[in-house]
Amino acid sequence: MKHFSITLRTLPPWKQHLHSVMLSLFFMSIALVACFLYHQIVPDHSANIALIFILALICISRYTVGYMYGLFCSLAAVILINWIFTYPYFKINFTTGTYPITFIIMLGISLFTSTMTSHLTELADVIAQKERQLIEAENEKMRANLLRAISHDLRTPLTGIMGSSSLLLDKPDILSEEEKRAILTNIYEDSDWLLHMVENLLTITRMQGNNFDISTCDEALEEVISEALLKFHKRYPGQQVIVHFPEEFIMLPMDAILIEQVTVNLLENAVMHSHTDKPIDFLVEDHPDNVTFTIRDHGVGIPRNLLEHLFDGTAYLATQIADTRKGMGIGLSICKTIITAHNGTLIGQNHADGAEFIFTLPKIHQASQRRNHYDHQS
Amino acid sequence: MTTKVKVLLIEDDKSITSFVTTALEGSGYKVTNASKGREGVSLAASFCPDIILLDLGLPDIDGIEVLKQIRSWSNVPVIIISARTKEQEKVIALDLGADDYITKPFGTGELMARIRTSLRHIHTKTPGHIYRALDLEINFEKRMIRLEGKEVHLTQIEYQLLTLLAENSGRVLTYSYIMNAIWGPYMDNNNQILRVNMANIRRKIEKNPAQPQYVFTEIGIGYRMLENEYQI
Repeated sequence: MKHFSITLRTLPPWKQHLHSVMLSLFFMSIALVACFLYHQIVPDHSANIALIFILALICISRYTVGYMYGLFCSLAAVILINWIFTYPYFKINFTTGTYPITFIIMLGISLFTSTMTSHLTELADVIAQKERQLIEAENEKMRANLLRAISHDLRTPLTGIMGSSSLLLDKPDILSEEEKRAILTNIYEDSDWLLHMVENLLTITRMQGNNFDISTCDEALEEVISEALLKFHKRYPGQQVIVHFPEEFIMLPMDAILIEQVTVNLLENAVMHSHTDKPIDFLVEDHPDNVTFTIRDHGVGIPRNLLEHLFDGTAYLATQIADTRKGMGIGLSICKTIITAHNGTLIGQNHADGAEFIFTLPKIHQASQRRNHYDHQS
Repeated sequence: MTTKVKVLLIEDDKSITSFVTTALEGSGYKVTNASKGREGVSLAASFCPDIILLDLGLPDIDGIEVLKQIRSWSNVPVIIISARTKEQEKVIALDLGADDYITKPFGTGELMARIRTSLRHIHTKTPGHIYRALDLEINFEKRMIRLEGKEVHLTQIEYQLLTLLAENSGRVLTYSYIMNAIWGPYMDNNNQILRVNMANIRRKIEKNPAQPQYVFTEIGIGYRMLENEYQI
């Protein structure tokens, strides 16, 4: 019902009031019917009748907007009790016996509960709003981190490209053919790196909204893996990857382009940050509920101070930048986002001689169920 | 002197136009540019190109529309130039009769290879009798497949599938095209049966199914088989 009172407050005002009027009428009529029945069975006992009305009043104050409905209904209740349920029946008479006192006490209780419950509702609203603000602040912080990492990673190759090309434009005469070739190679490599970055960023646009919803369909695992390897070998022709792959044919729900991106990113990280030429191991294991992918290098491993910042896009801040150019900016945080959107897990850790990244993808996909749910709704 | 192959480039970006034109002219092609869709359609009619390179993002009309108009009266090979993330767009273009696609950004080497493949397919209307690439040989007449000289046994469906890809080697075939060609138009849209058959073929002809040499997957689009090395 907390949920209900919040949604009520998101409606336009006239609808809120319509709701409140309906609810007030509803609770009052229930109380009235209950009192009637009670009065038929045990006449002459108006104290319990008053209690029934007070219960109805508390409900009304809780689920309507503002004080007014509670106040109005409490007046109505006092009059109704007097009119219907106290002697002389069906006559308004406030002077009999102790009735004036009953009247005042009941009015007081009603007023007090309605102000209190209204206050409670407001408090719940305030808390909900605070929670929302907190989540937004968290998102904002993530976004800021991501943006900082992006601009850091984009600026470095751009500086290289601009510097090299202005050198070629300004001083073409004093450069030897060999030097020119070296400069052009640099430009090509830097733009290749830029392209790589942009592709990473584009993958984010495939995930929509704040929840990073993705659309998955069943894909043949071997096809996705082979595509990723092909793409990786195009960039790093010399690097050897030893693939261990289950014999069976596995179909797994995923967004293939995104999983390909994750695989390529992790393989490239293994090349760039391991400082070794040893072959990379790529293990795919089939489990009853999920499939795990392990990408293991045999190099220097992950620096200890980086381990806890691997996926938050701030890793480059902690390094004091030994790898200036190929900062570990956004690649890993994008991987994490993608895998999380698939309801999988991604961890990075050191093993005996090097680093390994392991991600899992569940076989039954939560997101696809969620999507079906939406399909039914629409 | 042989006549030059005529290429029509429909592309609005100046720097792409410039580098593609330079590269193609350097390799002996004759290039004409159109920076707008309507201009492209009319040039396709008047200039009679041997091949068209078509960018899908044009300023006036949609590239898909240009393709539809050209296809309504011409079978000239069309290669689509498209951005990476738009698989659906590529599938639509291929199903509408585009011959191939190339993803931005691309190198000149890749572009040249695609153009050569598309031109070869238009010149060899009747498929050859033999497909040969690396260690794989398919004899279409004898219905025989050999890998490293040893015969490979495929089921009827697997054989049809592999030969369909081999006859169109070098080109990407969409899932729906293949489904239609093998299982007919009344098959439902679920292409799982295709994936399973491809997986079986891979286990029979590829050394390592995760690193195939012959049949490649274009994720979200379809399959492409290694170019036929056999010259007729």
